[in-house]
Amino acid sequence: MGSSLDRYEVLKRIILVSHSPMEGDDRIPQILEALTEAFQAKRCLFLPATRGSEDEGSGDPQLKNREPFLGEDQASLLVPLADEDFHYGLIRIELDRKAENASEVMELLHLVSKIIAGTMRQASFCSQSEKALLELHALSEVGKAVTSTLKLDDLLQLILEAGLKILKAKGGVLRLEDPETHELRVKCSRGAYDQNPLDEKIAKRAFFSQTLVSLEHRGETNPSLSVLCAPLSSRGKTLGTLAFYEKEGVPSKFDERDCDLLRSIANQVSCAIENALIHHETSRIVRENEKRIHQLSTLWQLNKALLTTVHLERILHRVLTAITLGEGFGLNRAMLFLVDEKSRMLKGKMAVGPDSAEEAGRIWEALSQRKSLLERIGELESLHSNSSRLDAMVKKMAISLDVEDCILVRTVLEGKAFNIRFTGASEGWLQSLCEKGCRVGTEVGCSAGEQLGHDGKRYGFATIPIWGKGKVIGVILADNVYTGYPITDEDVEFLTMFSNQAGLAIENALLYRSLEEAQQELKAMEAHVVHQEKMAALGELSANLAHEIKNPLVVIGGFARRLYRAISEEGPEKRYALTIIDEVSRLEKVLNQVLTYSRDERRDHEECDLREILESSLAMLPTEGENGPLRIVRAFSEDLPRVKGDRRELKEAFFHLMTNAREAIQEGGVISVRAFSQSTNGSSWVRVEVEDSGRGIRPEVLHNIFNPFFTTKESSLGLGLPIVHKIVTSHGGHIEVDNRPGQGVTFIVTLPASE
Amino acid sequence: MKKILVVDDEESIRFLFKEELEEEGFFVEVASNGKEALEKLPEIRPDLVTLDIRMPVMDGIETLKKIRETQRDLPIVLCSAYGEYKHDLTTWASNAYVVKCADLTDLKVTIRRLLGLL
Repeated sequence: MGSSLDRYEVLKRIILVSHSPMEGDDRIPQILEALTEAFQAKRCLFLPATRGSEDEGSGDPQLKNREPFLGEDQASLLVPLADEDFHYGLIRIELDRKAENASEVMELLHLVSKIIAGTMRQASFCSQSEKALLELHALSEVGKAVTSTLKLDDLLQLILEAGLKILKAKGGVLRLEDPETHELRVKCSRGAYDQNPLDEKIAKRAFFSQTLVSLEHRGETNPSLSVLCAPLSSRGKTLGTLAFYEKEGVPSKFDERDCDLLRSIANQVSCAIENALIHHETSRIVRENEKRIHQLSTLWQLNKALLTTVHLERILHRVLTAITLGEGFGLNRAMLFLVDEKSRMLKGKMAVGPDSAEEAGRIWEALSQRKSLLERIGELESLHSNSSRLDAMVKKMAISLDVEDCILVRTVLEGKAFNIRFTGASEGWLQSLCEKGCRVGTEVGCSAGEQLGHDGKRYGFATIPIWGKGKVIGVILADNVYTGYPITDEDVEFLTMFSNQAGLAIENALLYRSLEEAQQELKAMEAHVVHQEKMAALGELSANLAHEIKNPLVVIGGFARRLYRAISEEGPEKRYALTIIDEVSRLEKVLNQVLTYSRDERRDHEECDLREILESSLAMLPTEGENGPLRIVRAFSEDLPRVKGDRRELKEAFFHLMTNAREAIQEGGVISVRAFSQSTNGSSWVRVEVEDSGRGIRPEVLHNIFNPFFTTKESSLGLGLPIVHKIVTSHGGHIEVDNRPGQGVTFIVTLPASE
Repeated sequence: MKKILVVDDEESIRFLFKEELEEEGFFVEVASNGKEALEKLPEIRPDLVTLDIRMPVMDGIETLKKIRETQRDLPIVLCSAYGEYKHDLTTWASNAYVVKCADLTDLKVTIRRLLGLL
């Protein structure tokens, strides 16, 4: 045997195999083959070291020596493969003969053992460094990924992608804890593993135990599932979990190395995720602040727009325009109602918004050029015609504040905003409830539903109270009927802020308006007083003048009559005298009228029966005359109260009215005289109407008819109606005219009934 | 023949009344104001007095009062260019009130009625 064993050849062959560019594990069979041949052995075996055996060995002291030794059967040679640090295994050379324990053989085997151990060590180093490189590469990939973006969603996606690549997993799930609900929400995933209920359980286990969970799940029916799930922790806080499922290739199980890798990945990405989360939160706050600033600046601009006028209509229009404008609130339509405290009604004042989606499109198109909000409001003021159907409809709306279940009334009474959405109400929207449980079911509701909303089931709107000096002075109703965009609670909050400002502006405008009205009233009153004074002065002057003229007229007329009588034969002289008599009579008539108008207020008042007065006035009216046949219709109520006054004057007044009526009728017609009692403001009145079927009064002269010396008739002095007016007002009554040009006139006299 | 005292401050009125009433068959005396009328009254002893209201020295109302102090039954007709004294005065002291106008028929009828000549 000694001769057949060429130690040099054996060593040479082993060294050549060891240094061949083969994978470490492929060299073993070749080495075993070489040994088999060299020792002419039955076979050669490599028994790899089992884990934990390197320290204890197999109990054989010779193994510990790390020297080749003779097997107990004496027919095998055992060669431990080890170096200073590591025990790789044992080569067993089985011979078909008794082995010799020759020192050369043992020396050879010792050398072989050293060479193989060296080779194995090298291979192990090699694979370790390869692994380390791979890991490093993977981690650097992750590092690159996590630093490439601050966008949370992108980052999470990148992390998952990188993890999948590194771990060669088929799928993965990344979960983060929701800061509000504390649930582990799936942020991104590959494969449908997050659908598996097991996934959440594993994630929770990893999350709460803060340790990596590695699991081989063998389902009874499902194929087995290999999963690795690591907690994502940063600075002691667990943010979420990162899980990977099923390694590609065979075996599809994750090994220790994958666990380590995942740990490294998890450590590395946690910090990035935390940063991204902070960034995300910061961005959200920034966005919110930006929005706030935008809102504030919008409010400021709108406020400015409101402050530039005290004209109520304009303010209302601006308020509504601001609500419908894109840079304002961008709602489709806005309607405004104001509270009328006297009548306890909520009255529609104005509406802004297109009548149809087409019109909406046109308006938005026209507004597409960028301009400042203020300019746009001004522009819209001209664009929105106030004659829109919506505006006309809203202006007609009036809702009693007693209708307490009406949403607009509730907004006023409760002083809070409502945001109402109708979704899928089966029996039409009238029965539907808003989200806050309010039932809409009144006129507004009806109008709103039938006219404001096209599809009641999907119609949503918001009502916002307008506050002015501690009370609700109105309501704004806004909707998105064309776009169908929901009105958010945030919109409502913003609208409320705006409506508070609008309320102040509206309140101011209302005050300004009432001030203006008061001023106008004062002006009118002043004019009236001046007029009255003028009239009084004129009256006094006329009275004196009349009196001075009257006596000479009596004398002239008197002597003219004497002359007339003295002239016996018919001739021009007699005609001259007659002319003087006639002219004097005419002058006397005029003077009597002037004196009647300007006489003092002193008079005796007695209880008068108006029926009797009217009858006697009518009796004096000729029924047939130059103007054709006349029909008189009387309608006097039976229980006509008496009136305290001057019988003669009242008779004179009504006679004037009837004479007027008579003169108004050109080709015959009807005079209707009606008298009945009426009750106004708790007191009792008698109403007398004198109506004619004439041509009516020309509208341009209507305001003058009660002015003295104003007349449209050639033969009249123009004192008739002024005298009537004076008599009626001096009796505490009123006179009104119902003029119907072309159809006739009705004079309506109301006198206080005596108690 | 019935005697009538016409009291008026205007000469032409007195002239017209005198002419007209004399033509009616009355004896007519005149006075230009209330004071003069009161002075002439005892001497003339008229059956009726026509009294203007607006007059200098003493007006018609004052004169009416004074006459009524002594003669309650003497018929007195107030004559004035005004229409509005009518209600106040007829009920108070005078027998009639006539608004002066060129047509003296009303006055003449009133006088005849008061003198029982109708």
